[in-house]
Amino acid sequence: MKLKKIISLIPALFMFFGIAWADTIKIGFNVPLTGFAAADGESALNGAKLAVNQANASGGINGKQIELVVYDDQASPKEAVPIANRLIEKDGVKVAVSGSYSGSTRAAAGVFQAAGIPYISAYAIHPGITRAGKYVFRTSFMGEVQGRAGALLIGQTMQLKRVVVITLKNDFGKSLAAGFKAEAANFGIEILNEYEYSIRDRQFGPIVAKVRADKPDAIYASGYFFTAGPLVNQLRSGGVTVPVIGQEGYDSEQFIKIAGAASEGVIITTSLDRDSNSPETRSFITEYEKLTGNKVDMVAASGHTALNVVITALRKAGTSNPEAIRNAIAQTQLTAATGHISFNTLGEVRKNVQVQIVRNGDWHYHSEIRDQKLLAPPES
Amino acid sequence: MGYEISLLTFMGISIIGSLSLNLITGFCGQVSLGHVAFVGIGAYTASILTKADTPFFVALLAGMLLAGSFGVMVGLASLRVRHDFLAITTMGVNFVFLGVVRQQEWLGGELGVSSIPDPGLGKLGFLALVLGCVILVALLSLQIRRSWMGYVFVAVSGDEDTARMLGLDVSRYKLIAFALGTALAGLSGGLYAHHVRFIFPDSFAFVESITLLAMVVIGGNGSILGVIVASALLSVLPQWFQFIGDYKLLLYGSLLFVVMRFSPGGLAGLAKNIFPKSKIYFALKENQ
Amino acid sequence: MLYLELFLQGLLQGSIYALIAVGLTLVYGLLRILHVAHAGLYTLGGYFGVLVFNSTGSLMLSGIVAMFGVGILGVIIYRLCYEAILDQPPYVPLIASIGLFIAMEELYRILFGSYGISYTNPPLQQMLPLGGMYLREGEWVTILVSIILIGSLAWLSIRTRLGLAWRATVTDPQMAESFGIDPIRVRYFNFFIGSALAGTAGMIVGILNNLVEPTMGSVPSYKALAIIVLGGLGSVRGTLVAALMLGVVESFGTIYLGNVLNRDAIAFVFLILVLMVRPQGMFRGV
Repeated sequence: MKLKKIISLIPALFMFFGIAWADTIKIGFNVPLTGFAAADGESALNGAKLAVNQANASGGINGKQIELVVYDDQASPKEAVPIANRLIEKDGVKVAVSGSYSGSTRAAAGVFQAAGIPYISAYAIHPGITRAGKYVFRTSFMGEVQGRAGALLIGQTMQLKRVVVITLKNDFGKSLAAGFKAEAANFGIEILNEYEYSIRDRQFGPIVAKVRADKPDAIYASGYFFTAGPLVNQLRSGGVTVPVIGQEGYDSEQFIKIAGAASEGVIITTSLDRDSNSPETRSFITEYEKLTGNKVDMVAASGHTALNVVITALRKAGTSNPEAIRNAIAQTQLTAATGHISFNTLGEVRKNVQVQIVRNGDWHYHSEIRDQKLLAPPES
Repeated sequence: MGYEISLLTFMGISIIGSLSLNLITGFCGQVSLGHVAFVGIGAYTASILTKADTPFFVALLAGMLLAGSFGVMVGLASLRVRHDFLAITTMGVNFVFLGVVRQQEWLGGELGVSSIPDPGLGKLGFLALVLGCVILVALLSLQIRRSWMGYVFVAVSGDEDTARMLGLDVSRYKLIAFALGTALAGLSGGLYAHHVRFIFPDSFAFVESITLLAMVVIGGNGSILGVIVASALLSVLPQWFQFIGDYKLLLYGSLLFVVMRFSPGGLAGLAKNIFPKSKIYFALKENQ
Repeated sequence: MLYLELFLQGLLQGSIYALIAVGLTLVYGLLRILHVAHAGLYTLGGYFGVLVFNSTGSLMLSGIVAMFGVGILGVIIYRLCYEAILDQPPYVPLIASIGLFIAMEELYRILFGSYGISYTNPPLQQMLPLGGMYLREGEWVTILVSIILIGSLAWLSIRTRLGLAWRATVTDPQMAESFGIDPIRVRYFNFFIGSALAGTAGMIVGILNNLVEPTMGSVPSYKALAIIVLGGLGSVRGTLVAALMLGVVESFGTIYLGNVLNRDAIAFVFLILVLMVRPQGMFRGV
């Protein structure tokens, strides 16, 4: 009885503290739904929607339902900037998440920072994003961090020393390669050669031929499922049998579909452990597949995690004051689908690296990297 | 008001970009499929300079000069090749620009240039600057068209060989068109960079050149008013059409196709058909 | 040995470019149109191939549908889109074509999903070492199919009445018409052949990559343009040579120049260099 009385006072308390009475709590979300990035946008949105549905089903935020305000930014900075302004002014969001790529996220981050509205990048990896200011956070690994983890994985865990690096020519691939190269010597890795390819390439014949001639012990290849799939397929058909180590760009059912039998044994550094027993991860995987009919992928998990960070912070802050929300986010200690999440002073995430391997046509647990010193993102 | 201001600013920047292409393609008949490379040159130059504490207006000017200089080089190339060859060579310029920018770390490489300094004009002040530039560029275009230079441009775009036979120094005027058009593109780039305050290679991808060309052609190749209206509409179309969501790009492509298929003179041509006697349209009509 | 392999890889890539670019140069030679939407037909070939194969398991049937289905659609596109605007300045059909291409890409995404489609049981994936060269079955087949198709095209244009009519129309349309050749039929034939080749290329690439995506045509859309200019607009022979050369240049370029320029830039630098030396392209076109 007493509880009910207290709860019924909460709206009054909100009014008392001058907080705008809204029917729902709005969280902004910019995501590519058309154009070349539509596939990832779809996943990110589904992951985010699931998080919102789950939260609403369990009472929302302090009794209010959550509304995800979604805009299509076509992964373009030109679209993202007006969208950011629109979310802040017209929709009045007090916090937002980017489910989009680096360019649009970086552009929007400037707007949110200037307006003092907290903004979380779910999976865009550009280093400049969190450097936009203290209101901007990122729940996915920076490229350099993941690259370093790759060096540990290959040099120490797998004890393979002669490595060929195949790098995707964009911010993701290059920062991964940079992190890998920075730590390679510390783990006894000799980089035989590095080859670069662009995001539109699907045919890797020349690279495969050259790699075969190089005779490495392992291949560290960056890419997304639509480049890594064909690459791995062609490597295997080209007679290259050594282990291929990738990153979370591969992390999707599509990779296995495209590469087929060649995907067997491919190892990646990522954030999602599909064999995990943690209830957060398990519930995410089950409910995502129920909601969408698709299997989970990294982008969906990132969207889900980012939203959960926001929702948890909103619950903790108990207010719609953006400064307070920002502080709550900064102090996050949350177990999400992608593991335990916390942030450093720059707003970069601190979490363990999951290593997954393809076995019998599915992603499975391989190992984990917990070396927080190695994985420490920059503080500024 | 911030939302409307940012939309209007983008609109203005697009208009400057397409009016600058209009000088080359609309007035002078040289189809350029790589115009956004010059926007990019202006953007990168201005940003790198302002990050090195150069005053904003000096940086803008430097961007325009550099873009114009490269434009003259491309213009020189255009003297050797014609029509469709030129179109594809300019496309090549776009890709070479992107290729160079992606590889050079001092230009930001894949990461681009972030944290570009605020020119300090405030949102409204910056919008005023952009709109001021739009007016200047439009007036400049009008003046060029009315002058003897404009007459030469029309002649060159109509029939180059005849123009040459008439004693017009075709080469010189082609170069002037390229220099002006690309310098103004550089202006649009510098303004863009300081509005979004983050640029990277994808901002100047080939598809953006197509967008600029589409604005010129849908407006009505050569028609200043048509190009202004078309760019204003097309640049903010995705924002207006948010509610269409999934079908946005489909609509955009279909629109391009339908306009070209059924009204190749673009909006200006359409307007001419509806208001054949209107004075305004006679003043600003497309090349005949 | 490595150099030979890289060369062969270049020829492989070049033959795919050739299948696409030939159609483009055929259209240009006849109508002076830059048919960018051609790349949309290439993508459609990929979709036809994978969808038919996934439901019937017959490679032959998929090939037939990809080739003829796309060929017919190419003719339809000519009829509905280009025929009415042939006398407009060149940028009109160009922008119309670009608009059409964008619409096609989006349509594919909306209809077939943004993730792309893969073969459930991909054919021709096995490695088939021949003469020390490690190529997959599909890759050998690609080279073979390209030779057969383009060879047939050459034979068709030299040895048949239809081919003769086509060559006459390209050289001198008015003269050809006064001799009783129906220009419309020639155009239909032209678009059919060109589009059928592109559709075949699309299906082949879909098999080689085991991935058919809505945007798979975006790179060929502009690269093929570069190739036909390199070859001399309208010259089929020039296009072939240019396509193969570009394939080889890219193959060596990705390995040895990879950190200087990316692949697309290599193609265009090559183009610009050639044009500076020979502004009309490598071969005399039309």
